[in-house]
Amino acid sequence: MASPVARPTPVLADGPSAARSVPLARLLGLASLHLLVIALCALTIFPLLWMVSTAFKDAREVFAPGLRLIPSAPTLANFPDAFRVFPIGWWFFNSATIAVATTLGKLAISLPAAYAFTRLDFPGRRLCFSLVVGTMIVPFVVTIIPSYIMVAKLDWLNTRQGVIVPSVAHTAFYVFLLRQYILTLPPEIFDAARIDGAGPWSILWKIVVPNIRPAIAVVTILAFLGAWNQYIWPLLVLNDLDAKTLAVGMQFFARNSDSGQLWGPMMATATLATIPPLALYALAQRQIISTFVTSGVKG
Amino acid sequence: MATAREYHVGGRRVGWRGAGVPRRGRRLGADAVAGYLFVAPLLLLIGLFIYWPLVYSAYLSLYDWNLVSPDWRFVGASNYTRLPDDPRFRTAFGQTVLYVAALVPIKVLLPLALAHLLWPIRRSRAQDAYRVLLFTPSVVSFAVAALVWLWIFNPIQGVLNQLLLAGDGSRVNWLSNPQTAIWCVIAVSTWKALGFNLLLYLAALEAVPEEYVEAASIDGAGGWQLVRFIRWPLITPTFFFVLVTTIIFVNDEVFSAINVLTDGGPFDRTSNLIYYLYQQAFRYFQVGIASAVALLLSGAVIVLTWLQFRFVERRVHYG
Repeated sequence: MASPVARPTPVLADGPSAARSVPLARLLGLASLHLLVIALCALTIFPLLWMVSTAFKDAREVFAPGLRLIPSAPTLANFPDAFRVFPIGWWFFNSATIAVATTLGKLAISLPAAYAFTRLDFPGRRLCFSLVVGTMIVPFVVTIIPSYIMVAKLDWLNTRQGVIVPSVAHTAFYVFLLRQYILTLPPEIFDAARIDGAGPWSILWKIVVPNIRPAIAVVTILAFLGAWNQYIWPLLVLNDLDAKTLAVGMQFFARNSDSGQLWGPMMATATLATIPPLALYALAQRQIISTFVTSGVKG
Repeated sequence: MATAREYHVGGRRVGWRGAGVPRRGRRLGADAVAGYLFVAPLLLLIGLFIYWPLVYSAYLSLYDWNLVSPDWRFVGASNYTRLPDDPRFRTAFGQTVLYVAALVPIKVLLPLALAHLLWPIRRSRAQDAYRVLLFTPSVVSFAVAALVWLWIFNPIQGVLNQLLLAGDGSRVNWLSNPQTAIWCVIAVSTWKALGFNLLLYLAALEAVPEEYVEAASIDGAGGWQLVRFIRWPLITPTFFFVLVTTIIFVNDEVFSAINVLTDGGPFDRTSNLIYYLYQQAFRYFQVGIASAVALLLSGAVIVLTWLQFRFVERRVHYG
């Protein structure tokens, strides 16, 4: 078809002949497309494979030249080695408690607020909501110096709450997401509950929460990933070796000159730190993807 | 439950709009009280840890203070006016622009092209697999990602040099060479973010009504024309969302990579304004200078966001 806008008849007439010539060209096109994308996928996934591969290699093979993804003599020795050099058990524990508490904290303050912003009428509601959404454009780095001073004054340096409490404030996106979801619920169910004499508190628990479970699941997953992976804030607040999180503590492998050669244990620790987020992603990737579609992430 | 819908209402029947709802009056009062109570914890926290810091930063930026000493010296606007005299600030500023110039096209356009490539094989197992693989780096922390790349870039034992220079005796010191270091940070950042934006574009493409595409095909529109005249206008909201958020956050996102890979070096050649701020505040304890930079950065972000709403949004076709 040479002309950009052909009339319907020629298109129909072209049908059979086009069908005959298509398969080979289409097949070649598809094949090259798949090859290109597979190459890109390989490139994307290689660093992570290399991390896992190094984690299971013995010290000699780690430094052996060449590209060997499957260790010739797989070993678990790097894991206990890593635990011997640094308090990785503590780091893991700190990461887990901080991530769980931050996630719960964000849910606990975002859910009632999202409900209030959609279904409760109170003077100043629009202003409050603008204030919440407005936090999304305040760059995180602007908040770190004053927040650090505040946490220091509270004597919360090197504590979990010092990391958790300020992090919980960064939840505007989740409030927004939950609100969007609550807005899709039919008003009738709220009216019905009202007639039955339900107050705002029981409506929140008996109507909002059960009906927006998918959105709560997504917020939980995203908030957990964010909290598990956060770096700048725990880097500033947690200075004691035992108080650090995995993301921050791991860096000692690279910083400390004594442990500069410990690539095996370092990659073993990195592998451990990657398991929770990857497991979560494996379990919920469909839900994460569909939320992006339905919550209409547009400008 | 005698309801046609699947909505839970604590075991009660749903489905009719109540004519006898107690309107206004006492009910409104209860609602208002509950409303305030429900938003109070959130407002308190964002006030304390987001808005107060913004105000306090403005205050701090007028002082010379070292984070611990009881001496505060009022210096007026000189923390701002003296910034351009600092060569490290100028380097960081230039590289902030470089990060935007290099990473914005990569992060915005590359996933867009990729999304169009993957579109023809939508709803296939293959595309699912590609999507999952390409998105994986996005769920891994930057701290892990940077550490793994540190190992790959290692000049002696790193796999990159071993592959590139097999047999050859010369080595590239990827991270300590001022010419290459910043590109390493850019590469890691690209690797990390590619899948996320791809996902957003694919979701936007999926939302394009199939009838539009069919109608255009019947009228004889070919592959490129479908992209240009049907799909592109309908995914512009997503495109601008990705564009603006990338511009705003690109320099935040490279922080961890810079911190792990190069610590801003060599000779500040991978530093940006965010890293400069961090070093001024927490390494040299120049709280006033760091706060001045913080204020300038938020000003820039607020202006960018405003521009987005003012000019870009209007020209966007919402589907």
